[in-house]
Amino acid sequence: MTDLANQIITGLSIASILLLVSLGLAIIYGVMGVINLAHGDFLMLGAYAVWLMESALGLGFLPCLVMVFFIVGAIGWLVERTLIRHLYGRPLDTILATWGIGIILQQAIRLSAGAQLRYVKMPDYLVNPLHLLGLDISAYRLLIFSVTIVLVAVTYILIFHTSFGIRLRAVMQNAEIARCFGINNARIYSLTFAYGAGLAGLAGALVSPLKSVSPDMGTNYVVDAFLVVVSGGVQSLFGTVASAGIIGELSGGFAYFWNDTLARALLFFLVVVLIRFRPQGIFAMPLRRG
Amino acid sequence: MSLLELKGVEVQFSGFRALRGFDLSVAAGELRCLIGPNGAGKTTALDVICGKAQVNGGDIIFAGQNISHFEEHRIARLGIGRKFQVPSVFRELTVKENLHVAFCRRAGVFANLGISAAKANADELEKLAELVGLKESFRREAGILSHGQTQWLEIAMLVAQDAQLLLLDEPTAGMTAAETRKTAELCKQLKGRHTMLVVEHDMGFIKEIGDVISVMHQGRLLAQGTVAEIESDPEVRKAYLGSGGIRGA
Amino acid sequence: MRRIFISRGHIIGYAAFALAILVVPLFIDDPYLLNKLARYLIFGILAAALALSWGYTGILNLGQAVSFGLGSYCMAMTLKLHTIPIQTGAAGLPDFMVWNNVKSLPWFWEPFHSTAFAVVAGVAFPVVVALLLGWFVFRARVTGVYVSIITLAMLVVVNLVIVDQQRFTGGFNGLTDLADLKLFGIDFDPYSSATYYLIALSLLATLMIGELVVRSKTGLIMQAIRDDETRVRYFGYDVARYQIFAFCVSAGLSGFAGMLYAMVMAFASPTFLSVQISLSIVIWCAVGGRESLIGSALGAILVTGIQGGLSETPAFLNTWMLIMGALFVAVVLFLPKGLISIVQLGMARLAGKKISALTEDEAPLPRGHKLGIG
Ligand SMILES: Nc1ncnc2c1ncn2[C@@H]1O[C@H](COP(=O)(O)OP(=O)(O)OP(=O)(O)O)[C@@H](O)[C@H]1O
Ligand SMILES: [Mg+2]
Repeated sequence: MTDLANQIITGLSIASILLLVSLGLAIIYGVMGVINLAHGDFLMLGAYAVWLMESALGLGFLPCLVMVFFIVGAIGWLVERTLIRHLYGRPLDTILATWGIGIILQQAIRLSAGAQLRYVKMPDYLVNPLHLLGLDISAYRLLIFSVTIVLVAVTYILIFHTSFGIRLRAVMQNAEIARCFGINNARIYSLTFAYGAGLAGLAGALVSPLKSVSPDMGTNYVVDAFLVVVSGGVQSLFGTVASAGIIGELSGGFAYFWNDTLARALLFFLVVVLIRFRPQGIFAMPLRRG
Repeated sequence: MSLLELKGVEVQFSGFRALRGFDLSVAAGELRCLIGPNGAGKTTALDVICGKAQVNGGDIIFAGQNISHFEEHRIARLGIGRKFQVPSVFRELTVKENLHVAFCRRAGVFANLGISAAKANADELEKLAELVGLKESFRREAGILSHGQTQWLEIAMLVAQDAQLLLLDEPTAGMTAAETRKTAELCKQLKGRHTMLVVEHDMGFIKEIGDVISVMHQGRLLAQGTVAEIESDPEVRKAYLGSGGIRGA
Repeated sequence: MRRIFISRGHIIGYAAFALAILVVPLFIDDPYLLNKLARYLIFGILAAALALSWGYTGILNLGQAVSFGLGSYCMAMTLKLHTIPIQTGAAGLPDFMVWNNVKSLPWFWEPFHSTAFAVVAGVAFPVVVALLLGWFVFRARVTGVYVSIITLAMLVVVNLVIVDQQRFTGGFNGLTDLADLKLFGIDFDPYSSATYYLIALSLLATLMIGELVVRSKTGLIMQAIRDDETRVRYFGYDVARYQIFAFCVSAGLSGFAGMLYAMVMAFASPTFLSVQISLSIVIWCAVGGRESLIGSALGAILVTGIQGGLSETPAFLNTWMLIMGALFVAVVLFLPKGLISIVQLGMARLAGKKISALTEDEAPLPRGHKLGIG
């Protein structure tokens, strides 16, 4: 019984990291129609930013989290202003440009911080497990879990209950018409991209004490996030949350029986089979053919 | 004996009923005009025939076959060609290549491997281009054509496809008076060889080419008859109220 | 008029290219250099294969290294088994299996005792994988960026599985200490000119096959699909079949390139199916010109040639990747049709001067004349 409960909790924590990574990816795709292949590298930047601030400046972990969000967000904003902007309407080229940007970021880190693995220390007050409902739950995983819930809530409010959100949804539905109504699309796009990048950076910061930090750490996370986005169906916050939950639990479960790698392979296989029958994702309504 | 028959066709877009039990019957060799106020469901009617929109009820019979759940390419192979309201041609290909793609005699991948893209049927395709006045642009990219020329290219592509039934969605939209006349000429030439279903707003054009007119309103067939009959029909007048009357629509 | 000119230019270009790569061994007596050049030509095959699916059909396959890697493993498996008397453990088992406590040769290794089987499998296996993935993806009408991220995800997954299944695949180290390929009585030593010629001819054959495909009506329909996939359906073509076809041909050619690569490198490892290789293929194609087979191949040879010419130390490689990333972004932004479009433009200019009697309508303007953004 406690075994099962522990398994579910492990799955939940995998799911919340997955959700943090996917959320930014899904928002950028949903609003701008851009798949950001540099997303994993923004995540990596977030992890390195924490490492740098902790080891060189001696900052505490929690203040780091807040700063990382804004630092990586600013980098994202810059990337959008200088490069992505010129590629709207050319989705395949955008994917390429973001891939190139990802390589540049990775190599820049490799050349400056070195290729060796780096480690971020978990703050002492989060190391010990908490006893909740007769279970030992890692305090750190609980932190990740709560940060995720807060961020999803913030994102929800941002999209559905602010005037920025109204403009954002207008642009999502029809960019041309939104422009005619005086909405500044360019500004919406750069803020969205920055927000998505910031989320990725935050995700990187949060995973940094759990795993080693390396220049190519982003790849694996971003691939899982692709699976979430593909199976959840874009343009739906609920779809992203639900499919991150399902994929997190499934990969936790599969990994319990086999190992991480085979779990991932099986998940990939399931997602490919799924899109054959529901190409719009599990949670989207089918509209028109073609 | 009718070539195309729609019986009580229903189409829904996330709950909105764009077609509500739409009936239509077109005889072989006929040129039928389909009119109706904006949003009546004319484009949707053509969409559902060529497989672009999914049927939620009712039947579509073409040449004795129920095609309501066929995939688009199977419908096309049975002999239904479509011109879209927003002209859609392959902008990166030349006029010739556009026509060659449309000239679909064998659809298979391996069958087409043996056919040369440059040489096969070149003369026939050039004649077609001549028919729509695109001979000078034969080897140019379709992306640089004017709006009217693009419309003609798309019509020529349907002819190349040699479809038995042509579905034309607003073939004169955005054309000058002279271009519209030319298009009318073209339609008359095609009449008889192909069965045609033409959606139009331009009553002048319809009077020029059409025999029987079907009027749609709110996803249903409202009236059907000659131009004179339609123009004096009180139901039709009511439907067009507020949209500037049937002439100006 | 223009068509004739272009195809004449094409023929001259191809002839010059064929001549160049075939006479090279006559002037080189450094076997290491020859081996290096052979590797660049293999990359040329890969780039041309991607041009077929990406440049001509609009399928941006970011997981092409899967086909490449699977092909290389097929070849490496048979070459590994042929080293048995010298380098492998007891009972005819490859050395790494002995180290991993594998007791008997796994069933899927058995057929690789036959070189012929391996050569067929090196092409067929990647094609079957592409066929399966293609069936799921293209039948579901998944297109554009979605195809790209699904293929990329597949690459990462396959790579992880190969590393993970160390007992059967040699894991991280891959399959090393391979025998030379012996076929038709010829010993294809990786440093011999026989191997170089095999590869050069393979590249020429790839380009030929590719040209035959893109110049057929099937190729025309592929380009129409790239332009507007849904429109093609209303002319009666089953779009998914054409996409699967292009995807599979590209995979088969990549698998073949993988086999050659395992031969010249004398090993196969998970780095052959890495994201880096996939990325490089895309860069070569983009730099050379994705809508031209020979342009893509030249792009690969040029880029890897410059890289090899400069240095191959790991430290330099990191700087080089940074430069490549920047170059890539620049090409995507400013030269979407690659370097070959500049060459074509130049040729068109020259011809325009020569045949000034042409009317304005017939003035030769090649496809790639649109430079810059847009
Ligand atoms: N994909 C879609 N999703 C939701 N609603 C749609 C969709 N396509 C059409 N509609 C709705 O269906 C109704 C009929 O549209 P349709 O395009 O068939 O009209 P139409 O008669 O062709 O009008 P027009 O003369 O303006 O071209 C309209 O109210 C339209 O808003
Ligand atoms: Mg319409």
